[in-house]
Amino acid sequence: MALSPPSGSRTRVAVLVLASVTLLAMGLRDVPVVRDARSAAARVVDPVEGVVGTVTDPVRDAWHGVTDYDEVRRENDRLRERLAGVDSARIARSDAERQLAELSASLELPFAGDSPQVTARVVSGPRSNFSHAIEIDKGTDDGIAVGMPVVTGGGLVGRVDQATADSARVEVLSDPEFRVGVRLATTGALGTARGQGDDEPLVVDSSISPSTKVPRGTGVVTSGVDRSAFPPGVPVGTVAATRKGPGGLALELDVQPLADVDQLSYVTVLQWRAG
Amino acid sequence: MGRRRWVPARAALVVAAAILLQITLVSDLRIAGAVGDVALVVVVAAGITGGPDRGVAYGFAVGLAFDLVVDSPFGLTVLTYALVGYGTGLASAALQRTGGWLPVAVAGVAGVVHTALFTGLGNLVGVDYPFAEVPSVALAVGVVGAVLVLPAVHVLWWVHGAPEPDRLELMLR
Repeated sequence: MALSPPSGSRTRVAVLVLASVTLLAMGLRDVPVVRDARSAAARVVDPVEGVVGTVTDPVRDAWHGVTDYDEVRRENDRLRERLAGVDSARIARSDAERQLAELSASLELPFAGDSPQVTARVVSGPRSNFSHAIEIDKGTDDGIAVGMPVVTGGGLVGRVDQATADSARVEVLSDPEFRVGVRLATTGALGTARGQGDDEPLVVDSSISPSTKVPRGTGVVTSGVDRSAFPPGVPVGTVAATRKGPGGLALELDVQPLADVDQLSYVTVLQWRAG
Repeated sequence: MGRRRWVPARAALVVAAAILLQITLVSDLRIAGAVGDVALVVVVAAGITGGPDRGVAYGFAVGLAFDLVVDSPFGLTVLTYALVGYGTGLASAALQRTGGWLPVAVAGVAGVVHTALFTGLGNLVGVDYPFAEVPSVALAVGVVGAVLVLPAVHVLWWVHGAPEPDRLELMLR
């Protein structure tokens, strides 16, 4: 079969490529019109996605039937959840002990558990490669707003990135653009954790001296420092490895997240807002 | 004349169907930890059937629609799809044919090129997309592209009309 000859409209091509670059520049600046357009698209697409999803469910199930061992997976989920709960409790305990030792009992710290909570079901995972966002079935009608922290029993999952009336998108902590202020549960040393993609640990840029020993398994919680996007004390993960950071002036930590963001069915949105 | 009037509607239907298929089904079917890209297949098929002009136009339109529903920086998919659509069209025009296994090879290569382009440009504009994920993503996108491109070419012919065999090809038969 022959190819229809190209029309050679170089101007048209140039205009479209330039328009693409302009859109990218707008996207990087996160201009309101882009946010509004994406919210409008979510309002249209989310209900349709739900309907089409019920039609495509059998195909998806068949695929997973071939590629997954269901029983092993369920068992894994149960064990993972139990383990995450144990780790989370241990970190929360050590963090509380450190606070008790360092601060007087009269010092009142905000605590994540005091925040009103909304439990939501995860309705879809990442929509494309390099995407690390999940969709949940609760939105602004349920009191959810952009920026609210999202957790499970295991620990921090991410933050609400976009919200419509009845759904929301959550940027999960494996996203390379995700940043959260953290501190070591044992010493209180501060740092900033960032995502590195699927199945990779978080990297924490810390202010800890390279000569300091940070044992593997040390708990890491959200710092909750002034104007932080997250409440303090939410378990994030455990230290998996340490090394000298760029320049060799401070330690860089690999932190294994407690929450398994690939296996989420339900999450809890903390109705907490940065002060 | 009657056919041309329906081209925009058919094109919009194909783009919407590809996006919906991607986000409701394909995004959940993982190959080596990555997923295929049906929207890109439509762009590649447009380049193969209509040359660089149609390739870049579809790349722009499909990328714009896709960017509205994903969380990557807005405009990044528009730019990469437009460039891949243009490149696919140029390659197909240079090779002067769309039959046989050529579209399959073009789609496979386009998938790999798009993955590299998306990751590279993403990092260039400040998003730390991990390069370690490129091989598995390129594999998934390339394989799915190669498998789906022939049906996609027929869909594009349904939208725009199949080209008549040219004189040279008739002489060669």
